[in-house]
Amino acid sequence: MRILLIEDDTETAYYISRGLAGGGRQIAIARDGRGALHRALSEPWDLLIVDRMLPELDGLSLVQEVRLHSIYTPVLFLTTLGGVDDRVIGLNAGADDYLVKPFSFAELLARVAALGRRQPRPTVETRLRVADLEINLLDRTVTRGGHRIELLPREFELLVYLMKHQDQTVTRAMLLENVWDVHFDPNTSVVETHISRLRGKIDRGQSTPLIHTLRGVGYSLRAWI
Amino acid sequence: MPGFRVFRTSSFRLALMYATLTGISFLVLLAVVFLSTTRFMRHQIDDTVANEIEEIFANSPNCGLDAVRPAVDALTKHPSGFLYLLQDSGGVLRAGNLPPLNSKEGVREWPAASARSHSAFSAIRGRGIAIDGGYLFVGWSTHQLLEMEEMIIGSFAWGLAASIALALVGGLIMGGRLMQRIETISNTSRSIIGEGLRQRLPVTQVGDELDHLTGSINAMLDRIEELMTDLRQVTTDIAHDLRTPLTRLRQRLELATRPDAAIGSLRATLDSAVTEVDTILSIFTALLRIAQIEGRTRRAGFQVVGLSDLLSTTAELYGSMADDNGQTLLEAIEPSLMVNGERELLMQLFANLIENALRHSPRGATVRVNASRFENRVRVSIVDNGLGIPQDERCKVLQRFYRLEASRTTVGNGLGLSLANAIAVLHDTTLELSDAEPGLCVSVSLEASQ
Repeated sequence: MRILLIEDDTETAYYISRGLAGGGRQIAIARDGRGALHRALSEPWDLLIVDRMLPELDGLSLVQEVRLHSIYTPVLFLTTLGGVDDRVIGLNAGADDYLVKPFSFAELLARVAALGRRQPRPTVETRLRVADLEINLLDRTVTRGGHRIELLPREFELLVYLMKHQDQTVTRAMLLENVWDVHFDPNTSVVETHISRLRGKIDRGQSTPLIHTLRGVGYSLRAWI
Repeated sequence: MPGFRVFRTSSFRLALMYATLTGISFLVLLAVVFLSTTRFMRHQIDDTVANEIEEIFANSPNCGLDAVRPAVDALTKHPSGFLYLLQDSGGVLRAGNLPPLNSKEGVREWPAASARSHSAFSAIRGRGIAIDGGYLFVGWSTHQLLEMEEMIIGSFAWGLAASIALALVGGLIMGGRLMQRIETISNTSRSIIGEGLRQRLPVTQVGDELDHLTGSINAMLDRIEELMTDLRQVTTDIAHDLRTPLTRLRQRLELATRPDAAIGSLRATLDSAVTEVDTILSIFTALLRIAQIEGRTRRAGFQVVGLSDLLSTTAELYGSMADDNGQTLLEAIEPSLMVNGERELLMQLFANLIENALRHSPRGATVRVNASRFENRVRVSIVDNGLGIPQDERCKVLQRFYRLEASRTTVGNGLGLSLANAIAVLHDTTLELSDAEPGLCVSVSLEASQ
C-alpha cells in the first residue's frame, strides 16, 4: 500500500511514518503543498494523508486540485484544525476522512486500513456474510447459523458497519461517526454498552465469537481469533 | 510647548471663526449705517441751502446780480452758519464770505473725500447758480457730517475690536478648560495603561458630550476589567487542573526511570502514562472547543435541525449505558420538533446534559428527557431524581472546571456543563438549572423553526 504523507513538520512526519511502518505500507513524505501536488498527480497512490496547513499550497486547495484532475485516491486529513466547521469544510473539499491531532496511532492505523481497503464495489450489495452470520440488507434480516436474530434498528446499523469492515479494526470514534453521526468524544463507555448488547445477541451461545474487543483500540468483526 | 496647544484646540478654532464672522457682520453693518446716515445728512444740507437761495431771491426785486448783492451782503453780516459767494463774470468777488471760485453750477462739495481737514471753511457743501454771467454760491459747513462719519467709524472700530477680543478670550478660556479636561482624561488613560484597570476616567456634573464620552469609555473599561478577571480565573483554573494529572504523570515516569524499577512493569507504566496524557488532551480539547464556540459569530452555519430525531438518537445512545448502570432513561419527546441551530453542537449539548445526569445520579435513578413546543419556543429539559445541586452552587456549575465537592471523585473534567452552556449561548439562550425535588432539572429553551 503506497501512502503519500504530506506534512511540513519534519518531526511529526517522522513519527507518523514510523507509526505507519509495517503491514506492507510504503510511506513517502512531501513537505510542501506544491511538491505534494506534483507527486500526487504524477504517481499512483493508494492513500494521501494531508495536513491542512502547508507551505506554498494549503491542504484544502491541494485536495480540491487533486479532485479537479479526476484523481479519486482516498484522502485523509490529519490536522490540528478541529473546529466544528473545519471537518465539514475538509470533507466538502473532497477528503474521505478527517482526523484531528493529537490522535493515537491505533486510531490512525484503523482509519488508514479502512480507507486503503475500500475498493469500489461494482454491484450494490444485498447480502453481507461473515462465517455463519448473514445480513440481508433488503429485508433487514439477520441470521446466524440459519437462526433469525432480532435487532433494534441502531443495532442493525452497527452490525452492518462492522460487517462492511470485517477483519479490520474499527475504533470507537469511527463507530460514533458512522453509526450515530456523533463527532465528539462522549468520554464515556456508550459504545461499549452498545457493542456488548449486540454481542449478546450475535455471539451468545456460539462456539466461535465474531465480535472481538481490541483493548484500548476498538473492535473487530472476524471469524478468526 | 503645551502652552500653545490651546491654539490648536477645536474650541479655540471655533472661537476664531466666530470672531471672523462677527468682524464681517460688523463691517456690513458699518457700511449700511455709514452710507444711510451720511446720505441723509447731505440731503438735509442740500435742502437747507436750496431754501436759503430761495430766500435770497425772494428778497430781491429782480433776479439780476446787482439786485441780489444787498441781500447777500446783509446775510453775510449776520453770521448764520451759511457761507456765501457772489462774483461777477470776471470772477471778481462782489459779496459774501468765501474766496472767488470757478463758476460751476449745481451741487458741489469739497474737499473730495480723500483730502478732508477739520477747518470750518475748508469743508463745504453747497449749490452754485449762474446769475447774469456772474455766479452765486451758497454753502454749509460739512464739519458736522465729517465728525459724524468719524464717530460712526470710530465706534464701529471699538465695537469690532471689543467683540473680536471677547470672542478670542472666550475661545481661549473655553479651549483651555476643554484642554484641561482632555488632559485629565489622557493622563488617566496613561495611568490605566501603566498601573492597571482599576481606575476610571473622571466624570463631571456638566453632563455634556465629553461626560457622555467618558461615561462610555468607563463602561468599556468595566467590561474589559470583567473579561480580564475571567481570563485570569480561567488561566489559573487551567493551570491548577492540569497540575494534578501532570504531577501524577511525572511521578510515574520518574519512578519508572529509577535503577530499582522493574523492567517488567515498564509497559504498564507507559500505558498509564498514555492514559494520563489522554486525560490532559481531553481537557485541552474541551477548552479549545468552548473557546471556539464562544468565539463564533451567532447564526453562522445555522440550519433547520430536526430536534425530535436528534434527541431520540442521543437518548438511545446513552440508553444502554443507563441500563448497565441500573438507571432508567425515559423520553417524552413531542414528534417533529424543529429548531434553528447547528446539529452537531446541539447533539453535544444534549449528550453532555444526559451524560451529566446519568453520571451524577445513583443506581436506580430515573433520568427523563422532555421536549415540547410552547408557541415559538421549544423547551427541552433533562430531569434526574439524584442528589441535585444546592441552590447557591447552581450558577457556579456553569463555570469552567467547577465541580461539586461530592463529585470530585467521579470521572469528568468539570467542563461538560460550561461547554453545554457555551453552545446554549451560541443559540441565543442559556441553561436553566432548577430543583426537581429531588434531583436536578436542566432546561434549555430554543427558538422553534417553522
